[in-house]
Amino acid sequence: MRRAISALLVTIVGVVWLVTFKVTPLEVDAVTQPTPASRTREPVTPPPGRTAAPTPTIAPGTAAASGAFTGAMISTIYGPVQVRITVSNQKVVDVQAVALPRDRARSAAISQYSAPMLRTEAIQAQSANIDIVSGATYTSIAYARSLDNALKQAHLA
Amino acid sequence: MGMPITVDVRDDAATTESIDAVFAELRAIDELFSPFKETSVVSRINSGTLALSDAPALLADVLGLCRRYGALTHGYFDPWHDGRLDPSGLVKGWALARGAAILDRLGHLNYFVDGAGDVRTRGSSGDGRAWRVGIRHPVERDKVARVVLAHALAVATSGTYEKGAHIYDPHTGRPVTDYVSFTVVGPDILTADVFATAAFAMGREGLAFVAEQDGYEAFAITPDLEGISTSGFDALCA
Repeated sequence: MRRAISALLVTIVGVVWLVTFKVTPLEVDAVTQPTPASRTREPVTPPPGRTAAPTPTIAPGTAAASGAFTGAMISTIYGPVQVRITVSNQKVVDVQAVALPRDRARSAAISQYSAPMLRTEAIQAQSANIDIVSGATYTSIAYARSLDNALKQAHLA
Repeated sequence: MGMPITVDVRDDAATTESIDAVFAELRAIDELFSPFKETSVVSRINSGTLALSDAPALLADVLGLCRRYGALTHGYFDPWHDGRLDPSGLVKGWALARGAAILDRLGHLNYFVDGAGDVRTRGSSGDGRAWRVGIRHPVERDKVARVVLAHALAVATSGTYEKGAHIYDPHTGRPVTDYVSFTVVGPDILTADVFATAAFAMGREGLAFVAEQDGYEAFAITPDLEGISTSGFDALCA
């Protein structure tokens, strides 16, 4: 058996770019039409069974000031979707899914933590004989920005 | 400075030419996609000197994959950040997959490709033995927590145990603290890499997310050094 091994450095960098979450338009089930009221003020206690068409308390065209706002529940072929945003000083500071579809991508896993499938153990530190190590190297945006800066200081980028 | 890549071929037909071909491909991808090179397609799009419509077809391929994996992971992958293009999170696994595909085309049966701790294996390390892929212990840096026995598997790990590293939940903007290490094992390195990143950010739901994906298993380590694995993970280990 011959063996050829070599190594290289490239700068594509395995950075975890974990992105700004964007609420994208959903494909709406042709049967169920969404309610036009898409921005409504969140009541303190939502009445049970409430779906869409709550009464808007903000005049159309007025920028939201601060508070929590729950969107209309939208039916998709995969199930209902509803999103709540938190706004502070006219900026969205939080986005939460109140309801998510159980879609083909198995988003049920997102809303249902299925503990019985999982095994738990106290991990051991082993000095096993291994060929390769899988592990984190640099995984943060902060790291990447710092790296970028360092590369520029070094006139490498 | 950059992402260290190791290619190890253990065939009778192993040559340095094969490895050179892999590295040529990776260098070409680096030239196209590195956000750290002013001449890359990504940098030129961000500086406004190149229109998306004039970009090479490979960029469209990557953006298509970003859309696909973005949908699969519920929006945890998006190549656009603050109006700037940066598909780095996906390009790494994609590049490793393309490198492995070159070795496949050249007829190699026994190799691994390792990019900064994300690994694609094929065949054997010798005499039919599986490749032994250690999952790094988050505290004892020279030790491993588990050993995956891989004949044709990819192993990808996301972790926050390196100094200053954080993974943020894009839904809340807050750092995810449920785990310090999240490993995904499965047939495809791109998918394993994307899942390791996205599932880490999902927090407690990340393990269940991977458990629902055909062919993929996960092993996560909590800050208390508790290991939590999906039901099929142990069968892949030494």
